[in-house]
Amino acid sequence: MRPAVAEGRYSITRLPGFGLIAVLTFVMLYLPIIILVVYSFNSGVSQSRWEGFSLQWYQAAFNNAQVRDVSLRSLWLALAAASIATVLATLAALGTTRVGRFPGQTMIYALINQPLMVPEIVTGIALLIFVAAVKVQTGYTGMGYLVAAHTAFCIPFAYLPIRARLETLDPALESAAADLYASPVQAFRYVTLPLMVPGILAGFMLGFVISLDTVVITEFVKSAGQDTLPTYMLGQLRRAVTPEMNAIATLFLALSLVIVTAFFLITRTRGR
Amino acid sequence: MVSQEIEIAGLNKSFGQGAAAFQALRDIDLTIASGEFFTLLGPSGCGKTTLLRIIAGFEQPSAGTLRINGRDVTGLGPNKRPVNTVFQSYALFPHMSLADNIGFGLKMQGKPRAEIRATVAEMLQLVRMEAMADRRPSEISGGQQQRVALARALAPRPRVLLLDEPLSALDLKLRKEMQSELKRLQSETGITFVFVTHDQEEALTMSDRIAVMSAGHILQLGAPQEIYNTPVNRFVADFIGDTNFLKLRVKAVEGGAAVLELPGGKTAQASLPEGMAPTTGALVTAVIRPEQAEAAAPGTGDLQATVESATFFGTDTHLHLTLADAQGFVLRRQNRPGQPAPAPQSRLGLALAPGALRVLKD
Repeated sequence: MRPAVAEGRYSITRLPGFGLIAVLTFVMLYLPIIILVVYSFNSGVSQSRWEGFSLQWYQAAFNNAQVRDVSLRSLWLALAAASIATVLATLAALGTTRVGRFPGQTMIYALINQPLMVPEIVTGIALLIFVAAVKVQTGYTGMGYLVAAHTAFCIPFAYLPIRARLETLDPALESAAADLYASPVQAFRYVTLPLMVPGILAGFMLGFVISLDTVVITEFVKSAGQDTLPTYMLGQLRRAVTPEMNAIATLFLALSLVIVTAFFLITRTRGR
Repeated sequence: MVSQEIEIAGLNKSFGQGAAAFQALRDIDLTIASGEFFTLLGPSGCGKTTLLRIIAGFEQPSAGTLRINGRDVTGLGPNKRPVNTVFQSYALFPHMSLADNIGFGLKMQGKPRAEIRATVAEMLQLVRMEAMADRRPSEISGGQQQRVALARALAPRPRVLLLDEPLSALDLKLRKEMQSELKRLQSETGITFVFVTHDQEEALTMSDRIAVMSAGHILQLGAPQEIYNTPVNRFVADFIGDTNFLKLRVKAVEGGAAVLELPGGKTAQASLPEGMAPTTGALVTAVIRPEQAEAAAPGTGDLQATVESATFFGTDTHLHLTLADAQGFVLRRQNRPGQPAPAPQSRLGLALAPGALRVLKD
């Protein structure tokens, strides 16, 4: 009996059930989202019975001052956290790739990427305890805690594409710049930095999306009145699920899609 | 009077420390004259690229000094030396147009825009790339990238141009074309070229002088003819061109030459390297190039040989022979119309060109 082998080459597409599993996976991934989007346009309250097309839930969401408030907070929090994280991640990437091998280099990688490994709930609880202690000591209860927590959480996500970009750069380019009379600062300004830009933009967008999306960390760190869009929605869902939530989620999805598409285009066309 | 462009004295370079240390260059002393086409030739790992990188300023020597045009530049960074490099990978800036690539050095030197524009135009013309000034490096072929890399390195008018195996990525035809292009650029600009290669043919055809390197040493320094005709040791003789190595017995020593006993009973004169005085009866290594012997009728000539095989090379044929004492010998014979290669196992005589046989230090 011949196994699933085509012309001596192993081909996963020939395994029995491949098509079925693939279809089921895509259905599980996207059917709920499609239903969510469809019912955001429902004219009734039901999530299961179509009562006609309407934009009333979008209207309700836009007119809801609380939704506007938490959306703005989410956006500027993500902007601040992603910006700071991108700067730090850029420096970290330069520090770990633009120097010779040094002792403990692998450990530094691991430490930078730690938040990817540690369960978010553990980070959340640790931050809760830590922030509570700091709040008692300083009396400060502002947004600073959320910005700091989101920044720390975003750094590894921003770091990965920036480092990947730097590693594909020919080190001879920087040598060539120095050879052509560029000072170290000029070599960075005219050669290294412009070539890093696709990685930096990708890192920023990834960080932005991660910050926009995170629930657990925000939930544990926020003070009263510091709800972001995800934690606000979570709170609303505990009471009643109206298609207004569908509308907000759909808008949220649209924003993510725009950013992810931009990310894809940047890494593809400018990543050469 | 020829002035010295590069003076290197007592140069050493080691990488790593303690037991893991690797000495890439050992006690290099070298002067390169102004306007010279100088080649560092050797197998990979011989230290030639390290030496080039030290001249460029990318590496610092562990010991020794480097002077360029009389000025000690040992501690200076690459941006402070009147030296430009053509990199093996070309290292063109992918985010800049070809014109911006070529103008980069001048821009960093703070030259006025008008001057940069004029020089870039001149350089584009020099390498015959005028029509492509606004293209990106990714939009041109490898050979064109090579030309741009040359133009970029020449634009600031350096005193010395360093070339790190710049032709190794090109195919044979393009390589030949670039070889003559490089010679033309060098004579037109009068800039000192230091060329690194592992290709002995490239080194022989292009250089004014060659330094043959191995294991961090310079083994021989001289004009191409000198290196080819009088290699100082077995390594150089083996690395440059093809050579027959024969183990022969000394019959007599007369002044600077030895009379050697050839397989089959005849004798031949062979020059001795300086300082070598073998005793009569000793076995020595003698070398002769494959083209410095001629086929003769069986029974005539200095040596008798049996043909093992023949390899056709277009311009010539290599006959692989066995001598009377079973030592191998390769004979290169120019191909002529109506001259078939001798059949295997046929016999022929060999006449050695006078002065062609040389005794070598091992």
